[in-house]
Amino acid sequence: MSAADTAPAEDGPVTMMDYFMQLEYHELLCPVVRRYASQLLEGRLVGHKCPSCGLVYVPPRGYCPICVVETTDADEIVLADKGTVTNYTVVTPVQYYGQEETEPFVRASILLDGEGGMMNLQDIVDVPVDDVHVGMRVEAVWKPPGERNVDEISNRSWGSAEGCIDGWRPTGDPDVPAEQLRDKAF
Amino acid sequence: MLDVAIVGYAQSPSWRNAELTEPQFLFPVISEAIERAGIERRDIGFTCAGSCDYLSGQTFAFVSNLEAVGAWPPISESHVEMDGAWALYEAWVRLQHGDIDLALAFGSGKSSPGRLDEVFSLQLDPYTLTPLGADPVSLAALQARAMLDKGTITERDMAEIAARSRQSAADNPHAQIRSSPDADALLQEPYLTAPLRRHDLPPVSDGACAVVLATADRARATCERPAWIRGIDHRVEPHQPGMRDLTESISTRQAAKHAGVDDAPVDVAELCATFTHQERLLREAMGLDDTVRVNPSGGPLAANPVMAVGLARIAEAARAISEGGAGRAVAHATSGQCLQQNLVCVLEGA
Ligand SMILES: [Zn+2]
Repeated sequence: MSAADTAPAEDGPVTMMDYFMQLEYHELLCPVVRRYASQLLEGRLVGHKCPSCGLVYVPPRGYCPICVVETTDADEIVLADKGTVTNYTVVTPVQYYGQEETEPFVRASILLDGEGGMMNLQDIVDVPVDDVHVGMRVEAVWKPPGERNVDEISNRSWGSAEGCIDGWRPTGDPDVPAEQLRDKAF
Repeated sequence: MLDVAIVGYAQSPSWRNAELTEPQFLFPVISEAIERAGIERRDIGFTCAGSCDYLSGQTFAFVSNLEAVGAWPPISESHVEMDGAWALYEAWVRLQHGDIDLALAFGSGKSSPGRLDEVFSLQLDPYTLTPLGADPVSLAALQARAMLDKGTITERDMAEIAARSRQSAADNPHAQIRSSPDADALLQEPYLTAPLRRHDLPPVSDGACAVVLATADRARATCERPAWIRGIDHRVEPHQPGMRDLTESISTRQAAKHAGVDDAPVDVAELCATFTHQERLLREAMGLDDTVRVNPSGGPLAANPVMAVGLARIAEAARAISEGGAGRAVAHATSGQCLQQNLVCVLEGA
């Protein structure tokens, strides 16, 4: 915990006191996320496919909360690194303390091709923010193998591939009609 | 009041540093409690959870915990930012409406990722105590010092409580510390925060506990020997430790009186005495004499999964009745610093 502001008070009564504090957390990666991270370094996106309902979870959680069944390595599948934007938000950064972004940016939900799986809070790159739209086809922009890291992967990341995938860029393929993407957003 | 009983319970192991996430280790615990209750998950009419987002350092962590419950299609549920014992209290109140007959209460926490001394100093007065870094161990040390000065306990008494608790945990598969040197050896150790030595403190633990409650007919139908809740009450004292006499626990005394602890002899007491000296204080506040078996599970000195440890006392008291042949058991849970808030639950086998 950091100390309170120790600068001497100016003349007059003290009516306000700054008190800065921080809490640090260090959590072990759980086994299914460790496995997910090791596969990301190899350039593969993996998830768990629920043996009961078929929903795909990426990163895997070790269970399907809908069916309340546990999932294991036996339920692991390799996912496509192409997909479709199903929803997005344009975030306009407010310059609060610690904010590093200065320009508007996108956080999108992406439905992966094939077996499915939702990647959430993903960056869309190589395209103006105003051109991002539901139904847009995108593909992962992988970092070169030697530059990948999983430093930011944690148990609490919702579909993050930070450190291995820089973002998702448009493929130029025709859009998927929005009606086909209902109930496919985070 | 409608009769309500505990018909199922389960606990995770207590880990110093769990590699599973909180929902991951809750998952089998909730399933086991439901299975032991002999009920169907979908028959549960109300679910209440106790946890603390500050422990894991994740906003809305309590929402992820619901993934271990089975919350689709939507269920009726609630959450308390408190130990699961208070979640059980809310579930008991909900059952008093009489329109549902089964409820699930659970508590869970991972203490390992953060620092408990920093997290819990944030519970205190933000002007005077938090900036001082007044942490639970320092405040407990002040409380122990006040008791020593008053002559209501000795350092040897404290060491004996530590040794007995941890030796009692030898057969408890959920405990984290399951043995102890004797009091003579413990007293040779240096002070950690005087007058507390390391043995006066609980371990840092990650873990979970779940309990299934049922109203009378359902309890008799599903459970051979339900643990009936004959009284449950909780009381709170001022937030500022300086406003209290730390050598006694008025809120525990009041909660015990209203829960009916002294209506009949007690066989077993599971007390949330997180520090050794607090066991003495709680026994006196509840009027428990030397014939009462205190913390046969080992109690919080053997495993202290914050946010689950109080509910685990209730589960252990219920186990003493349903499996251990006890007739009457008392469970206690606490919240805040130096026993600020206390819950007392009286369970009976018939
Ligand atoms: Zn499923």
